[in-house]
Amino acid sequence: MPTLVKWTGADAELAEDPFTAVDDDQTLPRGDVIISLTRFQAEGEQLLSEGRKIGVRVEADEAVEALAYDLPRIAVVALVFPKFRDGRAYSAARLLRQRFGYEGQVRAVGDVLREQAHFMIRCGFDAFEPADGSGPTDWAHVAARFRHVYQRAADDRTPAFLERQG
Amino acid sequence: MTMKALTANRLDDGEAVFWMGGRWVDRFAEAQLWGDQDPDADAAEAHAKSELTQVVDAYLIDVIESEGGYAPLSYRERVRAMGPTNKLEHGKQAEGGASIEALVHAHGAARSTGRVNLIKRK
Amino acid sequence: MYRYDEIDRAILTDRVAEFREQATRRLAGLITEDQFKPIRLMNGLYLQLHAYMLRIAIPYGALTSAKLRKLAYIARTYDKGYGHFTTRTNLQLHWIKLRDAPDILEHLAEVELHSIQTSGNCIRNLTADPHAGATADEVDDPRVWAEAIRQWSTFHPEFSFLPRKFKIAVTAAATDRAAIKVYDIGLRLHRAEDGELGFEVLVGGGLGRTPYLGSTIRKHLPTRHLLSYLQAILRVYNRAGRRDNAWKARIKILVSSLGAEEFARQVEEEWEREPRDGVDLPDEELARIRAAFAPQGFETLPPVSAAFQSAKANDRAFARFARHNVKPHKVPGYAIVDVSLKAPGETPGDCSADQMDVVADLAERFSHDEVRVSYEQNLILPHVKLDDVPQVYAELEAAGLATPNIGLISDIIACPGLDYCALANARAIPIAQDIAKRFADPERAEVVGELKIKISGCINACGHHHVGHIGILGVDKKGEEFYQLTLGGSGAEDAEVGKMLGPALPADKVADAVEQLVEVYMRERAEGERFLDTFRRTGMSPFKEAVYADAR
Repeated sequence: MPTLVKWTGADAELAEDPFTAVDDDQTLPRGDVIISLTRFQAEGEQLLSEGRKIGVRVEADEAVEALAYDLPRIAVVALVFPKFRDGRAYSAARLLRQRFGYEGQVRAVGDVLREQAHFMIRCGFDAFEPADGSGPTDWAHVAARFRHVYQRAADDRTPAFLERQG
Repeated sequence: MTMKALTANRLDDGEAVFWMGGRWVDRFAEAQLWGDQDPDADAAEAHAKSELTQVVDAYLIDVIESEGGYAPLSYRERVRAMGPTNKLEHGKQAEGGASIEALVHAHGAARSTGRVNLIKRK
Repeated sequence: MYRYDEIDRAILTDRVAEFREQATRRLAGLITEDQFKPIRLMNGLYLQLHAYMLRIAIPYGALTSAKLRKLAYIARTYDKGYGHFTTRTNLQLHWIKLRDAPDILEHLAEVELHSIQTSGNCIRNLTADPHAGATADEVDDPRVWAEAIRQWSTFHPEFSFLPRKFKIAVTAAATDRAAIKVYDIGLRLHRAEDGELGFEVLVGGGLGRTPYLGSTIRKHLPTRHLLSYLQAILRVYNRAGRRDNAWKARIKILVSSLGAEEFARQVEEEWEREPRDGVDLPDEELARIRAAFAPQGFETLPPVSAAFQSAKANDRAFARFARHNVKPHKVPGYAIVDVSLKAPGETPGDCSADQMDVVADLAERFSHDEVRVSYEQNLILPHVKLDDVPQVYAELEAAGLATPNIGLISDIIACPGLDYCALANARAIPIAQDIAKRFADPERAEVVGELKIKISGCINACGHHHVGHIGILGVDKKGEEFYQLTLGGSGAEDAEVGKMLGPALPADKVADAVEQLVEVYMRERAEGERFLDTFRRTGMSPFKEAVYADAR
């Protein structure tokens, strides 16, 4: 079972991952699965009716808007970083949290590096599949680096301009 | 005849350096030269790329004869081996001498990147 | 001038600590260069030909004497005693050691300076009109908005990994001293007919391989919505900008492929959907920032200074300096004084640590402690009493900083080129030196009048060659340095991309060609025409004929 780092809102912890990530050409195993957006659109209704939990993997070039109406039924949205430099998933995460009010898990998958912990958490990610061998201690360390932030994002941190008003 | 040398920048201070029989030296004049097809050059490059704390961005460059000495073929590599041409008191050129003169007077059909592997790939 | 509060300081302190830890891990071999490179670039640390280069941000080009003295200290202690001011109003130090970088950042933080977001595909350091707060030509102080953007864009969690780098420039004046039309976003403050202050928003300008001038996507954005509107632009770009090809990843390519109208529609749609509260700054915060830039310490003076007038009458050299380097100030009895970093024979934009100290002292004694950096690679003392200009001139002169050539042919922009830069194809500095030496005679330069030469050592166009009246681009032809000339460009309010003159010239022919171009201009010009005006009237032919006459 792959390592999953979860952000609790104050700390990072190691978690067991009950989900199996499934490629489009693989047969579905039993239990909770994370499938592609394409597969979800084709087979989602059926799978949900079987009573299992479903996660949807959204590639960087896919629009999260496509999931808007299904979000209440989806347990995980896994946003893909094809390279750590590809920052599209940051916008996708903020849209999920702030525009669509999604409360399930937003998971970072792909080229996921600890150095990006701060940005990811701020955009609303709460679970990570690190690609650099890092663990929860590393993620907690990076997440706690900055005592203040300048702008409002998808987390609950108070931006500087409001802190200043006391 | 074209020869090869191995260059890189030192990790901790960024200085342009050259490979000489197992260590990195600051002066191009001390650089080890290989024949054009010598497999040892590639082996040295592979070794340099694999280690973590000495240098950054190691690559082979073409070297030609100049004024009885040697000089990198490309202009870019000559600037690295000398220093900036707008401030002659800075960089390796500051110490002067015959080997620096060989660099200053070198010319020829230089390929400006001077990176052998990049050129091969094109 | 904006001063950091505890929050700003803490953010900087935390950043320095982070980088110290990262650099230590790299030097110990605990992380690879592939992992470290993006980290050091995020801190403005590049590896160039001879050493590391540290690019220090100078937000909206504004310095104080303490900041400039600190830059001098760093240049002297950790570099070779000089620095290079760039077209992005940053300062580059070209001989930096990685092991010193954390200490340097700590020194910078002491004076509220840093190198955050001077590289990488993020929102880069802001530029603004260097005459802000001093020119009568402006409807508001653009620094207020530049500072608001600085804070909003610093470590922006959503916009730190954009398709490509992103540059924003702000002006509030009719005369464009910030080149806003060649920026990813250019913001021009103006008043609507009903008097409301707003921004004209231009998007998709940029130089580089494919030069574009920005398109206006909104004629009037009420100022209070600046940040939410920027967020909408950046979000559309972050999601839709190309990521498959670095040469096509800038926002200019997106705007041009969608068309400015469609791009604007998408931005408006995004902007309408997103709540603005919490993004746009509350009035209290805007007032706090504005207060930091409130004019202070100006005396009530007569508009004419006897001392200034008599110095002009008695000293021809001073009179020339006054004609070219002294600009009107909004407060009677004051002037804006340009400090030229373009002495003929010197490297454009270079400033020695000693010179920095001289300018810092002058700023402290005569210019309300303020210094500005212009994108044309000069420094500016923005608030000098006319009475004091002769004294300031004398001290600048003694330090080699009083070349009376602002806007003239020897006031050349040049990037560091192949003398330092790892990306360059050809040298830029020696070409600038050659040309400046040809026109070193100040009387001749004055007769020629306004002529902006801009030189880049590669297609990335850091030297803004596309928008030079005469633009010069270094190219590599089979290993030899060649130079491609363009004519008729402008980076000002009449912005235009220059047109190619003809086949590239070898290095030793460039200064000759510039002389020939100037001769044609002198021959053809009508009363009151600048080089650019004559070119626009006559077109390319007479210039082309002169330069390539021998080749036929």
